[in-house]
Amino acid sequence: MEESGYFDFSPIVNNIHESLAASFSPGWAMAIAWALIGITLILFAALSVIILVYVERKVAAFFQVRLGPMRVGPWGLLQTVADFIKLLMKEHITSRNADKFLFNLAPFIIVTAAFLGLGAIPFALGLHIFDINIGLFYITAVSSVGVLGILLGGWAGNNKYSLIGALRSGAQIVSYELSITLSLLAVVVLAGSLQLSEIIASQENGWWIFKGHISAWIAFVIFMIAGTAETNRGPFDLAEAESELTAGFHTEYSGIKFAMFFLAEYLSLFIIASVGATVFFGGWLPFHIGTWQAFNHIMDYIPPIVWFFGKVAGIIGIIMWFKWTFPRLRIDQLLILEWKYLLPINLFNLILVSFIALMGWYF
Amino acid sequence: MELAKFLIMRSELSLLAVVLILLVVEIFSAKSKQGAVVNLATGLFLLHTILGFVPVATGQLFGGMYQHTLLTGLMKSVLNIGVLILIMQSSGWLKQPANKGRVSEFFLLILSTLMGMYFMLSAGDFLMLYLGLELATIPLAALVAYNLKEMKSMEAGAKFILLAALSSGIMLFGISLIYGSSGSVYYAEVVGTMEMNPMQIMAMVFFLSGLGFKISLVPFHFWTADVYEGAPTNVAAYLSVISKGASTFVLLTLLFTVFKTMFDAWEVLLYAMAVLTITLGNLFALRQQNMQRFLAFSSIAQAGFLLLGIISGTHYGMTTVIYFVLVYVFSNLGAFGVAAIVYNASGKINIEDYRGFYQTNPRLSLVMLLSLFSLAGIPPVAGFFGKFFLFAAAAEQGYYWLVIIALLNTIISLYYYLRVVKAMFLDRSEEPIGLIKSDVLTRVAIAVSVAGIVAAGVFSQVFDWIHLYGWGM
Amino acid sequence: MERILFYLIAAVIIVFSVLTVTSRRILRAAVYLLFVLMATAGFYFMLNYNFLGAVQLTVYSGGIVVLIVFAVLLTAHMDHKLDPPDRLKALAVGLLSLFGMGITLYALRSFPWAVTALPEGAYDIEAIGMRLLSYGDKGYVLPFEVISVLLLAAMVAAIIIAKKSTSND
Repeated sequence: MEESGYFDFSPIVNNIHESLAASFSPGWAMAIAWALIGITLILFAALSVIILVYVERKVAAFFQVRLGPMRVGPWGLLQTVADFIKLLMKEHITSRNADKFLFNLAPFIIVTAAFLGLGAIPFALGLHIFDINIGLFYITAVSSVGVLGILLGGWAGNNKYSLIGALRSGAQIVSYELSITLSLLAVVVLAGSLQLSEIIASQENGWWIFKGHISAWIAFVIFMIAGTAETNRGPFDLAEAESELTAGFHTEYSGIKFAMFFLAEYLSLFIIASVGATVFFGGWLPFHIGTWQAFNHIMDYIPPIVWFFGKVAGIIGIIMWFKWTFPRLRIDQLLILEWKYLLPINLFNLILVSFIALMGWYF
Repeated sequence: MELAKFLIMRSELSLLAVVLILLVVEIFSAKSKQGAVVNLATGLFLLHTILGFVPVATGQLFGGMYQHTLLTGLMKSVLNIGVLILIMQSSGWLKQPANKGRVSEFFLLILSTLMGMYFMLSAGDFLMLYLGLELATIPLAALVAYNLKEMKSMEAGAKFILLAALSSGIMLFGISLIYGSSGSVYYAEVVGTMEMNPMQIMAMVFFLSGLGFKISLVPFHFWTADVYEGAPTNVAAYLSVISKGASTFVLLTLLFTVFKTMFDAWEVLLYAMAVLTITLGNLFALRQQNMQRFLAFSSIAQAGFLLLGIISGTHYGMTTVIYFVLVYVFSNLGAFGVAAIVYNASGKINIEDYRGFYQTNPRLSLVMLLSLFSLAGIPPVAGFFGKFFLFAAAAEQGYYWLVIIALLNTIISLYYYLRVVKAMFLDRSEEPIGLIKSDVLTRVAIAVSVAGIVAAGVFSQVFDWIHLYGWGM
Repeated sequence: MERILFYLIAAVIIVFSVLTVTSRRILRAAVYLLFVLMATAGFYFMLNYNFLGAVQLTVYSGGIVVLIVFAVLLTAHMDHKLDPPDRLKALAVGLLSLFGMGITLYALRSFPWAVTALPEGAYDIEAIGMRLLSYGDKGYVLPFEVISVLLLAAMVAAIIIAKKSTSND
């Protein structure tokens, strides 16, 4: 894709690599590179979560015709920063009858899973921590580990509300994982690869949401529903249904550990949105319309990274819109929706898309 | 690849068709139609059994993963006959109100385990063998726990699944070592690389432990009595006859082909296991009061006798093993069948309860007599010839001590088999088991097993016919 | 570097395996098992077999351990601890395990293992897919289908056992 003319991050990345390799032994260079990546990721995650929380509160406020946070900073911009600092300074409370080891471990499992998923996401051309050949499968694999954090956290607190929340959440995530994977598979069948960079490259002449027509649309709708459920967000936020379960699986957590659950939740929201943007909307590729040279050219002026974050923001916006629009489901309705509707539709769609791919009925 | 070629695996395909038809029937049938489902399943399986005798071409499929030979066809037919008798015997039990709405599941499970055994027999590589073994084991646990209202049955199911998992884990470790050392899982490629070095001997021993569990040879027999006791009588019969028979066939073919270069290693192993299995099985059988436990230990002892034929390593030995399994199918199903009828009608399961059985149920007690004579090996019934041939096969290869031990054990076994006979015919009881009327299918099944016991003993053609398909090491 | 990583992962596996079987709290045992399984996935990633590594993560960590944890959550109580093992039994088991380990190690070390080079780059996932569904030489479609029968049978079996409450009438 050298001649595509998009801004390429790989020279910068390579430069850093080379300068590290020049001044340290290979082992140390690798270690430092990983450390750099880790620090960058943590900073990025913290920043994006702070922004997301702010946006969420503002969105909620606008839906409910109020202003939302306004006091700290201009338009309340610093409100979440202040909240974050407050959370950091709060006391760690571990109830006496809790299983302390698991109680402390659970937030780490869930955050680790979220960070591992972040590693495979292509932010822009060349800005990709690792581009393995099973990228998409890898993301679903590591995100499936996160549910353990919820289960363990809910149990270790030794609180029946949190236990019920954990069980609900576990059942929900395990079920909806199927749908999310199957709906992504629909595009994988079309693109013929699991590698994220290749999935993006296959959309050079049009995003799959347009090229894959009917089946891509079905897949995308299911992906959005299942993705919302997977991140435990409304209308599927039964795990932390305030009115019944106080705060669900993280009832017993306070301070920084509570913040970690929060962090993981918003990170997985971000991951889901970026997977959706990459798979269905061409990732960092600009919007092109057929042979409209001029239009395409103008679009090319917007840097890929802006495109990527723009698309991610769009999807996150839709998911937030869901949350403040639909009422919460009951647990049996939730499972019926998955096992009796989404899963059969998905399997049917998979057959349909295989047929389409075989006949070459996509653009 | 033309579709006709897949007809090689017609046994599996037709069995799968039966399973799927029953699955659909289950969805669309009313819960109360128990009898109809039993009859349908029996009819379908009868068709399948008959189809199994239609000759088809032999050969390999899936790059050697599946192989059909005349021998595997024969073995599958032996199993088919056993399962046919067994499901006919179960009809009385399945029609009881307690099993309402769970009839077709019984057939689904039992037939899918049978399919697992087919794949074990026809496997051309260790992967298929292992999958077949799992398919033949996991659903069985649910069958063992079929009497959900009885704690004993549930406990037996849990014991069975845990020990099965353990033994298949060890077996899988053995397979992985074989794969690691030979670089392949295909039998044809593994054969050449198996040598007498400690690593591969260890791999073989681990591997054999999985089959040893299924056949309940002595170091792996601990589950047998408890599981047989807790399981529904018909399922216990299935475990002791079909499951054991299939695994014996697999053991036989594997030792004769894949591990044939390691004869010196498995000779010692089988020798020790045969002696232990026969002796311990007999000694424990002596003390049992519960009919199902009694038959469990008797079946352990019988498995030990089978090893005599395998250890000989000859064509003749192979024939005797298959012949013995055939006879064992008839005799053990006869004994278990009567025990099941009695238990399902009266709830009585102890040997003492059988006192005065001849007075009330002369025909059933005659069937029991015949089956027990056959198991004990008393001439002129088939069991005598089965044991005689096994001893002859072992003696032919010079295993005189083994044969002598086995003979001594046969005499011990006479005592406990005759104990049941004595209870039925000679003892008097205050409250004997009342007259039992069983349904048509069960009667036919019992009649078939009796006919089998007699026919296999009288007609020597059966033996010759089996001899035709076998081969030696 | 590779060697250090290998020994690190191996140490993790050994330590947590031992902890899994010695822990007296059942949920902790499940968590230790999770670490063992994840470390195993680490080995697969080290061998460049990304696909198998991800399968290990999904199937074992995301599937089996989750199911175990679920079952524990539904049955066990927090304060429940397994009884400490009998001193004599523990000793016997320990000795037996050591003996078994000795034999296994001896047997493993005595064998001249064939060493093959690590393939360059990651395993081709398309080739894996083709082999999985091929019915020719070294094709794996038959096991694939047999597994589906196995899963069907296991599902029916599970339903039979779980249907207890309705058939009690």
